[in-house]
Amino acid sequence: MSYNPKNLAAPARAGSAEQVESNRSPRPASNEDLAELAKQNVTPFLEKYNPRQFTPLHSAAGTPSGSRPRNASFCYRHQPDSACRRQADEVSMGQLQKELETLPQSDQQGIAHVWSLFSAAPAKQRTLMLQGILAQCCFPQLSFISASVRELIRIDFLTALPPELSFKILQYLDTASLCRAAQVSHRWRALADDDVVWHRMCEQHIRRKCNKCGWGLPLLDRKRLRESKREIELRATTWGNNQPSTRPGEAVTSESCSVVEPPASGKRKISADEPSSSLSKRHCLTAAHRSEEDDEYFKTRYRPWKDVYRDRFVVGMKWKHRRCAVKVFRGHTDSVMCLQFEDNVLMTGSYDSTVKIWDLDTGEELRTLRGHRAGVRCLQFDDTKLITGSLDHSIRVWNWRTGECISRYNGHTEAVIALHFDATLLASASVDTTVKIWNFKDKSTFILPHPSCVNAVKIDTQSRTVLTACDDGAARLWDLDTKTCIRVFPNHIGAVQQVIALPREIELENHLAECENDHISTSSRDGDAVVNTLSPLLESKSLSVQPSPFGSSFDQDPDRQDPPRYIITSSIDATIRLWETNTGRCLRTFFGHLEGIWALSADTLRIASGGSDRMVKIWDPRIPTCQDTYEGHTAAVNCIGLSDSRFITGGDDYQVRMYDFRA
Amino acid sequence: MTSIILTSSDGVDLTVERTVAERSVLIKNMLEDLGDSGEAIPIPNVNEAVLKKVIEWCDHHKNDPPTVGDEDDNRRKTTDIDEWDQKFMQVDQEMLFEIILAANYLDIKALLDVGCKTVANMIKGKSPEEIRKTFNIQNDFTPEEEDQIRRENEWAEEYVFSFLPCPY
Repeated sequence: MSYNPKNLAAPARAGSAEQVESNRSPRPASNEDLAELAKQNVTPFLEKYNPRQFTPLHSAAGTPSGSRPRNASFCYRHQPDSACRRQADEVSMGQLQKELETLPQSDQQGIAHVWSLFSAAPAKQRTLMLQGILAQCCFPQLSFISASVRELIRIDFLTALPPELSFKILQYLDTASLCRAAQVSHRWRALADDDVVWHRMCEQHIRRKCNKCGWGLPLLDRKRLRESKREIELRATTWGNNQPSTRPGEAVTSESCSVVEPPASGKRKISADEPSSSLSKRHCLTAAHRSEEDDEYFKTRYRPWKDVYRDRFVVGMKWKHRRCAVKVFRGHTDSVMCLQFEDNVLMTGSYDSTVKIWDLDTGEELRTLRGHRAGVRCLQFDDTKLITGSLDHSIRVWNWRTGECISRYNGHTEAVIALHFDATLLASASVDTTVKIWNFKDKSTFILPHPSCVNAVKIDTQSRTVLTACDDGAARLWDLDTKTCIRVFPNHIGAVQQVIALPREIELENHLAECENDHISTSSRDGDAVVNTLSPLLESKSLSVQPSPFGSSFDQDPDRQDPPRYIITSSIDATIRLWETNTGRCLRTFFGHLEGIWALSADTLRIASGGSDRMVKIWDPRIPTCQDTYEGHTAAVNCIGLSDSRFITGGDDYQVRMYDFRA
Repeated sequence: MTSIILTSSDGVDLTVERTVAERSVLIKNMLEDLGDSGEAIPIPNVNEAVLKKVIEWCDHHKNDPPTVGDEDDNRRKTTDIDEWDQKFMQVDQEMLFEIILAANYLDIKALLDVGCKTVANMIKGKSPEEIRKTFNIQNDFTPEEEDQIRRENEWAEEYVFSFLPCPY
């Protein structure tokens, strides 16, 4: 058989472009003459070349998908097992057939001849044939080819590529695009819904606030995320190998739910750890950013990662679009001054001298604790105890489950304004200008003296430090080992009402880089100005190369962590300030409140504040402008509690209001 | 400057600067393991047209700092592609497909990333029907399935949230 282009020349006149289009045309022609002709001319050619080339589409599709060539396929088009075969054949061949039939018989035969030859030819010969045809095309014909070709070369990448590469592509997609990809076909759905993709999506949102959706994962899901990382990586590389052979595009539905279960042994091991990990969680109830969904943990354990992602995404979007349910708790007969909530338990302290315990789900008042002889200014509870501080100068410890007052401490000579306990330490702040540190274990106490009334106190156990906020306009960081003040944050022009540390895992570096030189604080008054010259790049404790910016007592104990890197303060000067503790610099000042700020709370995603202007404002520590404002209270907002999916406020209008963004 | 010879799957020899060819971890490892014998290195999975294209990319990127471990792209999820690479990737889908396979086979991570990002950008922001059209995919869902799956995935569409009741 000869391939001289001249042989092609005559019959190619009318249909040169169609030949390109029919590139893959091994379909048996319906026209009997054609079939006969093809048989005569093509048989020797067929015998010469690989007969597998002619396997009809359907039998090819019957081969197991697992045997699809991976990296090894140098030209997937000419692999009979390849999953990616052009599918337009049926329709376009039908049209060609019709057009062909309008021609004289001799022309029909000639054209069919050419097509059959081309069909039978292996890759190299085909290329040569095409070159011959192209060489003879005039410009309008070439233009026709060029227009047709782009339309014809469309490849289902996700189906044709090995799964690990398909996953790689999907990992570059945003949430909405992934969810649309899942609606394309069965195959796309199986890939785009897979845990490999959504595990990664979840991972990307830990500790980071996504600008698009603005959410993060609760701690428990983070734990699960870490644990399953290895399984997921394995899954990405072996995806599809364990599947029963299916015809592409059929029965793939089963893939989406049944594929490659992670090794059972891994799961068992993790399950065994659960009780202890949930117990240890109970001990850190005080962490400001703690998730409130302990029980959810067990329910969500084996849920698909897409569902986990969806739940968080919806919460994030509801924050973003201010879609929340508001619940009002009425019962106090004077201003509500303090509150805390965990799971479905809310406790509020009021100037009416009582503490009330509420069921957040039902809104029901569960119990009222009476005993203080004046207003309750501060409270904190964990699994077993509740500690309250009052204008009656006393601190009381309660068994809140029974309502019984267990003990009373009279260590202050004025009202107790704030308290915080963690592990074995309790810190209390008072109008008597002191902060008192109580050690439950050895019953010892000591005092941190302040120039004026102290409004807030926060212990950080990991660094053995305490933060205090004082009426003199400064916040302070104290070393509990040396009992000295190691840093002063002095710039507020009014009494500092609140001071809290941002969670350690928060990352602000990139966002704050551009404002590094704004608002550099004047060196502190306590003579520790020298540390302000240390490199701000000093991220974590340097290993004995440089002295700790927090003093030598941090260098002596390698187990002692540095204090939280970022803290925020709020003041009656109506501003919130963000500080870097290792340099003492004020990185940012948040303006927006119209009057003094009494309430402040923060987690890795946002800061919430409330004040005399009756407003609650939501801030992103990375962004200087106020993100949202919530109104509702008819008098000053005194206290605020924040979780990843809701916040609760107490006010001078005696009300407690919950803003709930849960799905 | 030493050169090496690569033989494409269709038997064509291409002479390449060694530093350029070593953008491919596969080739780099081969040269390190076997030593440079001066013999042509067969690249049995990549044809001449694709190999030339891949070499063009490697040549342009020969001075790039070596890529670090793949953990860090966790952070850079961005689908931004630099201008030269964008132009480079303006090829038909078949060539794009082959480049991705070749980059994977030759272990050129940065090129594989660019290829995958290019495909991701072709998917981004499109409706399911537009995606089908772009890649010539048959919709194999029944209308009932399609409707159900659309509802299952509606949560990701931002407009849904503007329909929720808002207390403000």
